[in-house]
Amino acid sequence: MTHYDCKYYLAVDVFKGICKRDKNKINADDNSCENFSQASKCKNCSNFTPAENNLGLCMNLYDAYPEMNASTCIHYSRGIA
Amino acid sequence: MTTQKHLLDNTAEIFNYYGSKSSADIHPRIPKKSPSPRAEAERQLYFEASSSASVEFPYWYTRRWDELEGEVPIIRRAEALKSGFAHLSPSVFPGELLTIRKASYLRGSYPMPWLSESFFLAKEDEFFRQAQKAGKLSADEVTTIGHGGGNVTESAGNVISIAGKFGLRKEEMPILLKTAKKWFNKSVEDVGHKYEQLVPGYHTKEEIMRAVICMFDSGYTLPQGREVINYYYPLQNGIEGIKKICSDGIADSAGSPDMDRLYFYKSVFIMLEGLQSWILNYAKEASFMASLESDETQKSKYLDISERLTWLSQNPPRSFHDALQLVWIFHVAVLNEDAISGLSPGRLGQVLYPFWNRDIQNGTLTRERTIELLECMRMKFTELDCFASMGVVGGVLSGNTFNNLCIGGLDKDGNSAANELEVLILESAISCDSPQPTLSMLYDEKLPVDFLLKGVECTKIGTGYPAWMNNRVAMEFLLKNYHEEGMGIEEARAWSIGGCLETSPGSWMPLELNGQTHYIPGGSAPATSVGVHFISLPKVLEAVLFDGIDKRTGQRVYPPHGSKLESYDEIWTHFKKYFSLTVEVLTLTNNIQHDIWGKVSPSIINSMLKPDCLKVGKDISRMGCRYNTTFNVEVCGGVNLVNSLASIRKNVFDDKNFSLDELKTALLANFGYVSALETKSYSLFDQVRTPNYMDWLKIHKQCLDAPKYGNDNPYVDGIFKEWQSWFSKMCEQFVSIFNKPLYSCQISVSTHAPMGAVTLATPDGRLCGTTFADGSVSAYPGTDKHGPYALFNSATCYDHSSSQNSQLNMKIHPSVVEGREGSVKFLEMIRAYLRKGAFHVQFNIVDSRMLKDAQLHPENYRGLMVRVAGFTQYWVELGKQIQDEVIARTEYQQIG
Repeated sequence: MTHYDCKYYLAVDVFKGICKRDKNKINADDNSCENFSQASKCKNCSNFTPAENNLGLCMNLYDAYPEMNASTCIHYSRGIA
Repeated sequence: MTTQKHLLDNTAEIFNYYGSKSSADIHPRIPKKSPSPRAEAERQLYFEASSSASVEFPYWYTRRWDELEGEVPIIRRAEALKSGFAHLSPSVFPGELLTIRKASYLRGSYPMPWLSESFFLAKEDEFFRQAQKAGKLSADEVTTIGHGGGNVTESAGNVISIAGKFGLRKEEMPILLKTAKKWFNKSVEDVGHKYEQLVPGYHTKEEIMRAVICMFDSGYTLPQGREVINYYYPLQNGIEGIKKICSDGIADSAGSPDMDRLYFYKSVFIMLEGLQSWILNYAKEASFMASLESDETQKSKYLDISERLTWLSQNPPRSFHDALQLVWIFHVAVLNEDAISGLSPGRLGQVLYPFWNRDIQNGTLTRERTIELLECMRMKFTELDCFASMGVVGGVLSGNTFNNLCIGGLDKDGNSAANELEVLILESAISCDSPQPTLSMLYDEKLPVDFLLKGVECTKIGTGYPAWMNNRVAMEFLLKNYHEEGMGIEEARAWSIGGCLETSPGSWMPLELNGQTHYIPGGSAPATSVGVHFISLPKVLEAVLFDGIDKRTGQRVYPPHGSKLESYDEIWTHFKKYFSLTVEVLTLTNNIQHDIWGKVSPSIINSMLKPDCLKVGKDISRMGCRYNTTFNVEVCGGVNLVNSLASIRKNVFDDKNFSLDELKTALLANFGYVSALETKSYSLFDQVRTPNYMDWLKIHKQCLDAPKYGNDNPYVDGIFKEWQSWFSKMCEQFVSIFNKPLYSCQISVSTHAPMGAVTLATPDGRLCGTTFADGSVSAYPGTDKHGPYALFNSATCYDHSSSQNSQLNMKIHPSVVEGREGSVKFLEMIRAYLRKGAFHVQFNIVDSRMLKDAQLHPENYRGLMVRVAGFTQYWVELGKQIQDEVIARTEYQQIG
């Protein structure tokens, strides 16, 4: 897993960010550390059905994409579909 | 081939100087104070951050929009906005005192396909291919300071570059393309285009755009902006208070005639619910950050942010800090509604003064803390990016967002409006010298000298701001244009600059605080610079000389005039005809675009803020604002036009040095030089000769030696005055969608670079592809040879109040204004110019050699800022066309 998938990752830009825990600067795509905790993303939601090319369906109704942050989504339900 | 250093000076000197040349090495800028550690940390983080786009907001906006097929359009839009705001991921950065941003990234922004989606569809295949590439790269490997600061100029690793500026995570590209497709034939651009074609002469409009005689359509690119925001309603009522106004409005209008009021109030109510969710999401995130924090001081800061946001999600501000945070929330909220450049905070120091003064009086705030907060505010404004296509973001905006904060001017009763908070705003701009917000001094003879000298102190360190605007000239312009809508002298005093240089009407709103009524100024009009943007004047003249043909493309743009052009008057007459035709067709087509914008994608947030929309229940597109005479005609390259006309009159008709046909042949041959598009040198420096250079040497010298604007020369100044007088009058013959006459606007922003790039050599001796003179009354670089006061006389040969603005850039060597004596001398020079009736002047206080060194070694100059047109920008984020032009500007080594 990478920092990009961690809930403690605070993105500064599309390349890099800051760890919310220790405030270190980190690259999004570098491997995460032992404190990794899965971020709330569509790909981790039971309502998400993946498809090709980084696309998928939300609740079998709406277009969606796996990497979208779902921390503000009221339908988010942790668990791989 | 040989290289000539500079065509205007046969010495080996490679810079344009007026006065004695300095002999020392590069002269440093005048030393300045440092920002607070907190602001400095924010600035360093900014320097490391890349411009980053995301899809979150457009995804949720579009998803909700699609759900509401058949709903009343403005309600549908409100629901879509609500969904976008409610789903934005919050991000609270360590150390910040003010929070909330456009998107989760530090320099975050996002595309708005409901305005325009064609860019993505046109590049779909290219983007899709890039999105399939996997890769892993660190930021350091792809973000090079020397290649544009925070601009993501190339795709690399998991990031795709859009428009040479914005980075987008590759996994977001497929959904962006899918989202963009949903707006095909539904966006403002597409719907507008369908109806534009019904305008008689539409074909000419298409040819004008292809020839880049006009730079861009305004209805779907940047439909809002170049205006002054109004913070009154949130400051006075809080969000719940505004919702109450809406509820009352709904009850009052439901079922009554003029039902648009009902839908407007309902849309504002819905949108505010979205804003509340957005704010509370940030409050929650701040609490989460606090839960992870071991440092008790920082933990309390996070909790303080959380508490403040929770309060402000419903209530009016309790303190200066609250008020500043609330102002920032609504500023970002408006920017998230549309693609906007130039949403100015206006006279923010006067708006917030009642809150600040109360806190100072009761001892809950210090001046030091105020400066720290203001520095943090500066960084927030600097972080703003506007997502647009390369042509707009690079060719027009130079990556800038034009948030203009004004100081000084007069209060409602005609007394100096300068206050102590504005002094601290200047102090914070000196210590935290960032591009945003830029500052404008609304100069009036009633302003205290100490206040003006504080402004000079800020200008001297090289910030490029404050720019100096003439309060009385602006009021004259406003009274001429808005008296029919009821503006009197009292309300004329409430003006501010919207965007870089757009004089914008305001109003005084009664803020009740501590049992007192404080009349605070704020914008009361929609975008004051929409309509015809920008017309390249030298390119129109080129079309006249070549009978309506664009010689770059070989395409016919205008109907042939068929004239042999045997007199200067014939040329001038045909120029006016072609120019008028251009304005006519562009006015009609842009009117359609703006009408469609109001129907398909109306403003809700900005409308809510602007008096008197909330009072009358109408949005901006339905003339809900107090003042609506806001469409204009913008031009570029005026000084090159005037110098060219002077050269033609002098060389062809007065002195008969050569025939018009010989001149045209010389222009096509670029006077024997290689095109700037090949040399990549965009001023008259470092140009390369072709082997047949000698064939054109004499005629080129005669063109260069012809009278030039900026030297108090009545021959050329007479032409300048005639052009100015005619231009302002002709604009009034055309009307906007609001059936109001247009007015003239004369700012170049960055358009003088791309418009110069597509223009042949011009009769004034300028070479093909080189950048035009900036602004509207700036001399062409190196041609102002008789000092500042001669330039001032030329610039004020016409009535500046006949136009929305004028624009003069000057470059002064730092040694000239050093010390107290230098400040006094500098202020006197500024006053002398403004007292002659000028509207505007601004300065780069810099050694030209520093700029050249920065061009060669950008890695040493990440923080170097320069004044371009109506804005200050980091040097490393400017394109070379503009860099060359700024280097070439005449540097004044004396101002006496």
